[in-house]
Amino acid sequence: MKLKPTLSLFVFCFAIGPASMAQKPTEPSNVNLKAVQQGIALSEQGRCGEALSLLRKFASVGQSNKDVKLRAGLATVRCAMTMDRADVAVDAIRILTRDFPADPDVLYATVHAYSDLSTRASLALVRVAPSSYQARQLNAESLEAQGRWDDAANEYRAILKQDPKLAGMHFRIGRCILSKEETSTTSADAKKEFEAELKIDPNNAGAEYILGELAQHASDWGGAIEHFGRAAKLSPGFAEAQLGLGMALIATNKFDQAVAPLEAYTKIQPGNPAGHYQLMMAYSRTGRKEDAAREAALQRQTAEKLEQEKQRNRGVEPSQPPTP
Amino acid sequence: MAISLVSTQRISAFTGGKHDCKRCRVHSNGRTPETYLPETTGAGCAFLDYDNDGWMDIYLVNSGPCDFFQPKTPLRNALYKNNRDGTFTDVTEKAGVSGNAYGMGVAVGDYDGDGFPDIYVTQYPHSVLYHNNGDGTFTDVTAKAGVAAPGWGTSAVWFDYDNDGALDLFVCRFVDFSKAKNKFCGNLKTGERWYCIPSVYDPMPCWLFHNNGDGTFTDVSKQSGIASVKGKAWGAVACDVNNDGLMDIFVANDTVANFLYINRGKGKFDEAGLLAGVAYSAYGRPRSGMGVDAADFNQDGWMDLFVANVDQEMFSLYQNNKDETFRDVAIATGIGSATRLLSGWGLKFFDYDNDGELDLLLCNGHPDDHVDARVGGVTYLEPMLLFRNTAKGLKNVSGESGDIFRKSLAARGMALGDFDNDGSVDVLIATNNGAPVLLRNNAGKENHWLGVQLIGKKSNADAIGARVTYQAGNLMRRRVKVGGGSYLSSHDPRIVLGLGKRETIDWLEVKWPLPGGGTQHFRDLPIDRYITIVEGEEKWK
Repeated sequence: MKLKPTLSLFVFCFAIGPASMAQKPTEPSNVNLKAVQQGIALSEQGRCGEALSLLRKFASVGQSNKDVKLRAGLATVRCAMTMDRADVAVDAIRILTRDFPADPDVLYATVHAYSDLSTRASLALVRVAPSSYQARQLNAESLEAQGRWDDAANEYRAILKQDPKLAGMHFRIGRCILSKEETSTTSADAKKEFEAELKIDPNNAGAEYILGELAQHASDWGGAIEHFGRAAKLSPGFAEAQLGLGMALIATNKFDQAVAPLEAYTKIQPGNPAGHYQLMMAYSRTGRKEDAAREAALQRQTAEKLEQEKQRNRGVEPSQPPTP
Repeated sequence: MAISLVSTQRISAFTGGKHDCKRCRVHSNGRTPETYLPETTGAGCAFLDYDNDGWMDIYLVNSGPCDFFQPKTPLRNALYKNNRDGTFTDVTEKAGVSGNAYGMGVAVGDYDGDGFPDIYVTQYPHSVLYHNNGDGTFTDVTAKAGVAAPGWGTSAVWFDYDNDGALDLFVCRFVDFSKAKNKFCGNLKTGERWYCIPSVYDPMPCWLFHNNGDGTFTDVSKQSGIASVKGKAWGAVACDVNNDGLMDIFVANDTVANFLYINRGKGKFDEAGLLAGVAYSAYGRPRSGMGVDAADFNQDGWMDLFVANVDQEMFSLYQNNKDETFRDVAIATGIGSATRLLSGWGLKFFDYDNDGELDLLLCNGHPDDHVDARVGGVTYLEPMLLFRNTAKGLKNVSGESGDIFRKSLAARGMALGDFDNDGSVDVLIATNNGAPVLLRNNAGKENHWLGVQLIGKKSNADAIGARVTYQAGNLMRRRVKVGGGSYLSSHDPRIVLGLGKRETIDWLEVKWPLPGGGTQHFRDLPIDRYITIVEGEEKWK
């Protein structure tokens, strides 16, 4: 089956570089600068093997030679990819994105390098361990990215046939079911998968959270409290689980119990009006009028800020039309 | 001129459509390159029996001259008299109800209790009140009555907030708008304009006019608390949400919090939308509230609320918690997923198939006529939705209710009314910049029914706030007469009680609103016809 690797997985892996790269660059000697410039010239002639050994000190090129540094960095990435030197390419990208974060050439080279690295790694995985669950999982993730939910779910099921106790697979199948167009059995089918996941991995806060959401949508507030509560306990920093728990408690008039998870949520997500709104409700219904008024004000502020951002993103901010 | 608005086919729950209305008066929005916001938001429509002949007539609102629009050919509103054969005759000129500005909505109510319905037309930049003279003509009494409500008026509602037996007037006001204040929204590079999201305009307070009982009104917006908050109001409905005998009012605002004005008596309202849980989404974000309605859809004795919002926001169905708070059950009822990509305006709870349950009709259309090119999955013209109440939940039956539900419209106002007196409540939809759509309801004829016209004597003449309870075999249901509801529109004042297949109605009880407040019981009632019940009279007519 054709593989289409997922870029984001590799971006995550490559985001951690060697500590040496974080060292403060020092001004190079004239000899080094000359060597770097020679390396650029060699790279332009396609002589990447020779170029790389000269370009390896490009990081030390100082601010007074920014253009040289930029060109050398890009040449390093290009040659490293040509020579299949992923380590060198990734190091160079780290330096370039640190020193030239908004440069279009750097961003373009970064996209291509990571994309190529991703493809190479996935091909290597298929080559060295074609029937491993990692290879199949990568394949399934690729199918998910293409929106082929049934195919992806089948791939995850195939993994489970190999290893019925592998954690994460039922969760992913459940996610595929929920991503498909909704049918009368969607919720029930997904619920089975998340419950199966929890039998394998009782500490999966994500599965608990989605079960909470399914219960909430069905107005099963008891179930929502149970699942959101477990998700929040497993992962206290899981903001959405705290919010879900608070909302479910409010829906069942347990206003006093709703305060703690909602306070936790607003600490994690102070810029989200949802927490302030629900906390305002909880305070208000437990007689804490001043606290409720404070949260109401925060809710309005944060909602207005988000509305302004929304308008900016839509490009509909009112302003003067262009003059003809 | 006699015009035929409907088809006579009887193949689906609803039949009819634009193709049946080639000769009726078409709404003209006067669209300009400057994209003035009122252009895309009108207009309303009404069913009313202006001549008291027992047949529902039609009123259609049109745009008209104002600072940003000077029509090349004269535009006017239209009053159509029901010819009782499925056709209507335009009697606007004789009646004198043409409108005199950029028309938006209409609210019908017998404010002086003379037995003839009067017409209030909301407009930009001022509204107009037409008093029904009882002889087929109307008189513009706006100045005398003092209800011009300067600004951009949208929906209006007649209701008796102080229980003095006279209908008062609530008028929604949208944003602070004029030609000079029009803003540029669009693509700054190309200069392409589209209709602004209302968040760019300043909010304004709504109006409340107290009926003095002598043909004049007093602006009590400030002292009542109505004007204590500013909104961007599109739709409003008056009902008693806390069962205290005082009519409250729910207002749908666009891009700011919705208002729930709780009537505390002595002419004072508290705006309690935030604590009631109806102001924002569950995630604390204001939505774009447009159409509204109120009904006890689950028959638990408490009024529930509905708001239609814009695409991506889902519509809201607020179930009454019986303690002045509400819970949005849109997702649990299937309303949420069905409306995720729609923008709703005219809407109403009613029993379309006369089985005794309150169903829900939603009329939709996106306000931005460029949205198709800008937002994936969202279109300017949108289909209507019909939800059937199965007594266990709401079921989307749009796909099986007629071809009209497969068509897409720029629907705005929507009024309910039984124009052919067959007991099946029909539907009139006003579209933006297009012909109205009149739908004949075929579904209600499959069941039995009783139509009831209530006439208040001590209570307000239109019996707004009355509660009708009836029993037919194992079916006991209650209907409440709300003020307003939908969007920019006004409805047939009669209540149709669905009986299902039951062939007798055991009893009927009317609880009149204050100041009457009495309860009357009736037995030996007919079915499949309309009756009139006058407050205090022992026998129905």
